[in-house]
Amino acid sequence: MQNAFSRSMVLLGFSLCLLVRAQGAPQSGGDFANNPQAKKLPTGVILVKGAWSSASDSVTPLPEGGRVADDVYNNQYFGLTYALPAGWIEKYSGPPPSDSGYYVLAQIRPADTFKGPGRGSILIAAQDLFFTVTPAGNALELINYTNDNLNADYKVEQPPTPVTIARHSFVRFDYFSPIADLHWHVLVTQIRCHMVQFVFTSRDTKLIESLIQGMNTIDLPADASPILGTGGGDVPICIKDYARDENVIEREEPVFAERTFNPVPVRIVVDKEGKVKHIHFLSAFPAQAKSITDALLRWRFKPYLRGGKPVEVETGIMFGRLPRLMTPQSTDAVNE
Amino acid sequence: MRTIKLASVVACLALLFFPGVAFAQSDPGVQGGPARAGLPLASVNANDGSSQFFQNGLARFQDIESVSNSPTGNNGLGPRFNSNQCSSCHSQPAVGGTGPAMNPQFAFAGSSVAPNDTTPSFITVNGPTREARFPFFFDQFGNPNPNARNGGVEDLFTVSGRADASGCSLPQPSFALAQQTNNIIFRIPTPVFGAGLIENLDDSTLLQNQAANANNNFGISGTFNHNGNDGTISRFGWKAQNKSLELFAGEAYNVEMGISNEIFTQDRPLPGEDQLGRGLPASCLNLGGSGYPEDTTNFTAKTGSDQFATNASIPSDTVMFAMFMRLLAPPTPSATTPGSAASIANGRRLFSAIGCATCHNPTVGNTQASNFTTSLSSAPVNAFSDIEIHHMGVGLADNVSQGGAGGDQFRTAPLWGLSQRIFLLHDGRTTNLLSVIQAHQSSGSEATQVEENFDLLSPSQKQDILNFLRSL
Repeated sequence: MQNAFSRSMVLLGFSLCLLVRAQGAPQSGGDFANNPQAKKLPTGVILVKGAWSSASDSVTPLPEGGRVADDVYNNQYFGLTYALPAGWIEKYSGPPPSDSGYYVLAQIRPADTFKGPGRGSILIAAQDLFFTVTPAGNALELINYTNDNLNADYKVEQPPTPVTIARHSFVRFDYFSPIADLHWHVLVTQIRCHMVQFVFTSRDTKLIESLIQGMNTIDLPADASPILGTGGGDVPICIKDYARDENVIEREEPVFAERTFNPVPVRIVVDKEGKVKHIHFLSAFPAQAKSITDALLRWRFKPYLRGGKPVEVETGIMFGRLPRLMTPQSTDAVNE
Repeated sequence: MRTIKLASVVACLALLFFPGVAFAQSDPGVQGGPARAGLPLASVNANDGSSQFFQNGLARFQDIESVSNSPTGNNGLGPRFNSNQCSSCHSQPAVGGTGPAMNPQFAFAGSSVAPNDTTPSFITVNGPTREARFPFFFDQFGNPNPNARNGGVEDLFTVSGRADASGCSLPQPSFALAQQTNNIIFRIPTPVFGAGLIENLDDSTLLQNQAANANNNFGISGTFNHNGNDGTISRFGWKAQNKSLELFAGEAYNVEMGISNEIFTQDRPLPGEDQLGRGLPASCLNLGGSGYPEDTTNFTAKTGSDQFATNASIPSDTVMFAMFMRLLAPPTPSATTPGSAASIANGRRLFSAIGCATCHNPTVGNTQASNFTTSLSSAPVNAFSDIEIHHMGVGLADNVSQGGAGGDQFRTAPLWGLSQRIFLLHDGRTTNLLSVIQAHQSSGSEATQVEENFDLLSPSQKQDILNFLRSL
């Protein structure tokens, strides 16, 4: 009896082993796996990012961090609030920042259900003055450059002209494509070493004028302006190329495990003691961001003094490749 | 007479009740007539040997490869491959082009080419010729693992069961599982007409063009992919991942046809076979019996009466594929069809005005001096590409990273030769140009604003752009 019981237990154990083995992992994984219940990957998601934007903390506002919510575009970094025209939406978000410092902040268009007159689009974008490949030291020079280099197929309707909207200073530049029968009206101002621009596109100039009229409720820093615009308030002073040798007391170059040759533009905020307190990678692979962060946290800058008191400074540093050598018409941007 | 009257009435009624349909724009489709590409560059001639090299490369491009025992010595195929002949996939509208209307891959499985294999469901008789990639590795349970990037080519076919590949038995990758789990993407062959011109652009020309197109008010700001060895701008392939035509040829010979060569010197296992820590089985190595690499310089080329022809027979296939591509002339556009000369000219200007030409530059600049042939020197490169890589958004992202290009970045596809291309976009998902234009718009795409501009045009203006594109 005991023998029969023992035999039964052995057989049961053997059967369980076989069962476990049968239900275990397939012998061939990798490219040859087979599982009818396998998990699906999501569609419409960028799972493999190349060089992308990132930051050393999730609290400090970033230029690309603006969002449309409740029909209002709000961007904390630029201190910008813009109420969308009624019935207009952001259907598609923009790409990540480029390695030449260009940001698509928002792309606004009528909703598919929009019944109002005329069609068009509003592009809200920013070009920083740290990494631009255009020879310009401020927003006015950037828009003048656009005007000077406009393709011959376009006709200028209004050359860059100072205007005031909602008590804020802009430069307005209008041009037209006769062949496409499309108008572009561009409003630019400068905030924290960035040219912030609103590009209105439509066949209907009345629509564009009404959209520009609708900017009367826009909220911007009081000190925004096309030449010496700043963020105002208590945001850091921005200085292009502040990381020059004469301002850096201690410098440690990052060590890259692998060279990938992509430009790595980095925007940093230096605190009053000269330490790097915030790092924003416009475009970097994760390993590059880590190496550069490790190095930058060891850098020490001369504190920047305003009125004899140290203040925070925001600047840009290009890693990976040398920055393009552009000669702006003005001196380097310093926005106090 | 009565028939004409009736037709007029029907036409009037159609215009009255279906005006949108009557004037809606449409893709003129693939242009018929003789191939507008496939000839050598104008300066290629028999007096300096360039013609002999072109012809030799052209012939090798059409060779059908065997595993072993080829009567013409074309051995080395496999053990895994997507096709057995360069020109089977690069044939539309002429040798050197892209995939033809009838997919040659559809006939491989079950035939003497791949006797033991089955045809993946995404390979159809009238569909695009394709390669497949799995963006991620599967784990041991068959789930795609988003933390384990793959992205390498999963060859569709094996030499298992072939008479000239005895002893080698390999499974095909799990294409059905990959489709079931969304872990598969496709690429179609890029045409190589005019490739020598693109190869001979100096980096400075590309950088100047990039700067000239900055600050464009269209939301566009691209970058370049770079060669990992010397840091210069790479330019061939859907993500501009390859630096030179020789590298491009060597990689394709190895990856698409399984033939090791002087640049890629080993037979290539699938990424998963390496992941499993075993590579290819010994029974599938050196199937040609001549050792490695399978494609080499021909030390024993026989001297003939034509010294140049003899010279052309000495280099390896890889070198001669590259030479063939380098000496291939760019496609010739039509000034009058489809539509009319006026429509095409209008379409060209509209294409530029709404911002398409910011990336699809009509000419990125001129080539540098060439040491090969004069047609490659100081020549405009009318490829309609800036050779930059751009973020194309979630709608086109394939989650494959190559060099510096991420999963959503693609090289601006050159548009020359578009008149006779059948399958469009990187994966051949459509044959309709309007669908292609619409696909440029999605979250994360640099081209969204330009597509918006296209949508603002009238139907006749859109038609002009489509006519222009199908004239190239």
